[in-house]
Amino acid sequence: MASKSTSPSAALLNDSIKSLVSKHLPDDYKRVTDDDLYRHSSQYRHWSYTVGHLREKRIETNLKAVKLIQAKLQKFIDEQGDNISQSELQTLKSKAVPLTMEEELKLVNFYTKKVQVIGKHLNLPTEVIATSITFFRRFYLEESVMKYDPKELVHTTIFLACKAENYFIGVDSFAKKAKSTKDEILKYEFKLLESLKFTLLNHHPYKPLHGFFLDIQQMLYGKVDLKYMGKMYDKCRRKITEALLTDAVYHFTPPQITLAVLIDEDELLVTRYLQMKFGKPEETVEETGTEIVTPAKENAQKEKQEVKQEVKQEVKQEGEKSEQNGKPEDHPNTEKEEEGAETKQEEEEEEAEVPDGKDENTIELDKLMEQIMACKEMIASMSVVSTQDAKLIYAKNYYCQYPDIVIQKLKRKQEQEQEQVGSESKETTEEVSPMKKQKTDV
Amino acid sequence: MRESYSKENKVGEGTYAVVYLGTRQSDSKKIAIKEIKTSEFKDGLDMSAIREVKYLQELEHPNVIRLMDIFMAYNNLNLVLEFLPSDLEVVIKDKSVLFTQADIKSWLLMTLRGVHHCHRNFVLHRDLKPNNLLISPEGIIKVADFGLARAVPNPREILTSNVVTRWYRAPELLFGAKHYTYAVDVWSVGVIFAEMLLRVPYLPGKDDVDQMEVTFRALGTPTEKDWPSVSMFPSYNKLQIYPPPSRDELRNRFIAVSSSALNLMCGMLEMNPGNRWSTVQCLESAYFKELPSPSNPADINISSS
Ligand SMILES: Nc1ncnc2c1ncn2[C@@H]1O[C@H](COP(=O)(O)OP(=O)(O)O)[C@@H](O)[C@H]1O
Repeated sequence: MASKSTSPSAALLNDSIKSLVSKHLPDDYKRVTDDDLYRHSSQYRHWSYTVGHLREKRIETNLKAVKLIQAKLQKFIDEQGDNISQSELQTLKSKAVPLTMEEELKLVNFYTKKVQVIGKHLNLPTEVIATSITFFRRFYLEESVMKYDPKELVHTTIFLACKAENYFIGVDSFAKKAKSTKDEILKYEFKLLESLKFTLLNHHPYKPLHGFFLDIQQMLYGKVDLKYMGKMYDKCRRKITEALLTDAVYHFTPPQITLAVLIDEDELLVTRYLQMKFGKPEETVEETGTEIVTPAKENAQKEKQEVKQEVKQEVKQEGEKSEQNGKPEDHPNTEKEEEGAETKQEEEEEEAEVPDGKDENTIELDKLMEQIMACKEMIASMSVVSTQDAKLIYAKNYYCQYPDIVIQKLKRKQEQEQEQVGSESKETTEEVSPMKKQKTDV
Repeated sequence: MRESYSKENKVGEGTYAVVYLGTRQSDSKKIAIKEIKTSEFKDGLDMSAIREVKYLQELEHPNVIRLMDIFMAYNNLNLVLEFLPSDLEVVIKDKSVLFTQADIKSWLLMTLRGVHHCHRNFVLHRDLKPNNLLISPEGIIKVADFGLARAVPNPREILTSNVVTRWYRAPELLFGAKHYTYAVDVWSVGVIFAEMLLRVPYLPGKDDVDQMEVTFRALGTPTEKDWPSVSMFPSYNKLQIYPPPSRDELRNRFIAVSSSALNLMCGMLEMNPGNRWSTVQCLESAYFKELPSPSNPADINISSS
């Protein structure tokens, strides 16, 4: 008990499992416990959404930018006055169209992948890349690609993520490595920090993964091939990074994502583990009781009981949560100080009254599996945005911001057609196209 | 709605920021604004500022300085902090202020709670000293200045030992250890505890070499027996070996201090970081359970009479 907060590795698993407990606290929650820590985190307070709320947020961000673009476009047309022809107006109406929310999302996803690739190229640690990915995607929840060109934020984001993860690289050497410039990197650093709501600490699923691996190895001691486990661990770490590219991060806690990734990697093993950990005691004994030969068996049993209590709580609270729509409310901070006895809470926690019943245990495991499967599905549903698609969207974004270029392009085309009518000699003409310019950078 | 603040007189200048007094317009509440100068830093946002923002956003506790808001103005980052008019250094130094054993107990308890909250959130402060323990108008101690803080490292991570203001630096840091953890903060609190009792700095080394000398003269040079492989540190050979102080010697140095207070202090000033007490052990110490009970913070008089 006393070692709990002194040893991070011991606390790791406890923390992971405890934060599986749902997101809502009962009103009479008075004490700070470990599972409470995640709920106090900025990641939970600011960056967890229901599916509906996330969508609303994206629509809102998109709409704000669309209005701006349309106003700019109207201003441009007004300024042209009589100088603008009917066909030019027509072209503007069809070409200079703001992006939809879906198009924005695709472009963001495409560039997030770039962030990942560049991070790898720069040989950054996994956690730094993870934070870069997270920052980049969060930025574009708050801001539109129509206002901030994603290309201009890639390096800024990675640079800030390095600093946030205590992996400092001087801006000059970073610029050199990333083939960028200091000004480019620092231009939007403040803006980025502001849009991140000044929250810089991320809880990535790599830590819970480590905790679960230790626990699986302990609980299935002698039943698992360590070499296999090592390989599986590395694969899971890679899959976690992929999961960070999806919306699962906004709807699920890091340990939930970890379990989804684990199950995706080895469903049989992980299901068996979860059965042992969360299943009915009878079931456990029947199925695996004779297999467990570990000195830590008693401990594991005890831990299992504790975990069960927490999951019960989770199921209860899940119910509460599903009743409310929208962002999970920030619970009131009911944290209270007790005279010198702050550390006594664990024992009291265990005494907390939890109804017991075998049926409920089954429901809890079912419920947990349901969550994990939903998370797994969400991770799997991520579709890759092709370069072709990204280019088209990028061009569209370009045209809607620069109506003058659309007009220029049209004029050239018309001139070209006239020339072609007049003299057949000229074959090709240079076209003003953003795509040509951007070919190398998109 | 966005809060607005007025910036009034400048109260201090830190290493990377200027601190102003201010008022929150909505309710006339006094606040402090820490303005981080950015243009001066060629690497963009300064690391200290990033650390401070990063950790203060996560650590909400009565004994940790509260970050109330952050805003940008004229390309400067401004941290709106609760107004904390005093700090423990000022109080300890002001010889016209008299304080009791119960007051010290209260301050130590609040400090340990604040540090414990950091540790339970896997954050190391790495710069605990009386000057960074600010005091609210209600007498509450608040751990402040997270410019050197970091997450608890993975076992294999290499860290810099160049942290913590010299007098409060744990022996493993003096040895230049590349791996260390929570215990460095506990050591600092132990030295602060001693300083509160003595009312002068306990281990005031003149430079890094002298710091080892001062530390080990006062508390004994660690040996292989109580700290296996301590002699592997490069600087170990050059050390003068002092015996640890006897109980009587400690009692003579810290007069009128109970034996559980001495136990707690020795637990925090344990040479071997592996044996040093955790914040949990400290908080559960008999010292906090025996009389006198800690003073009510609001009743401690810290303004000079
Ligand atoms: N919250 C606060 N309320 C009142 N004064 C403060 C506050 N924070 C800092 N100060 C004052 O500003 C000075 C500089 O603060 P800081 O930059 O944190 O100092 P340093 O870099 O010296 O640790 C402090 O010494 C203190 O006098």
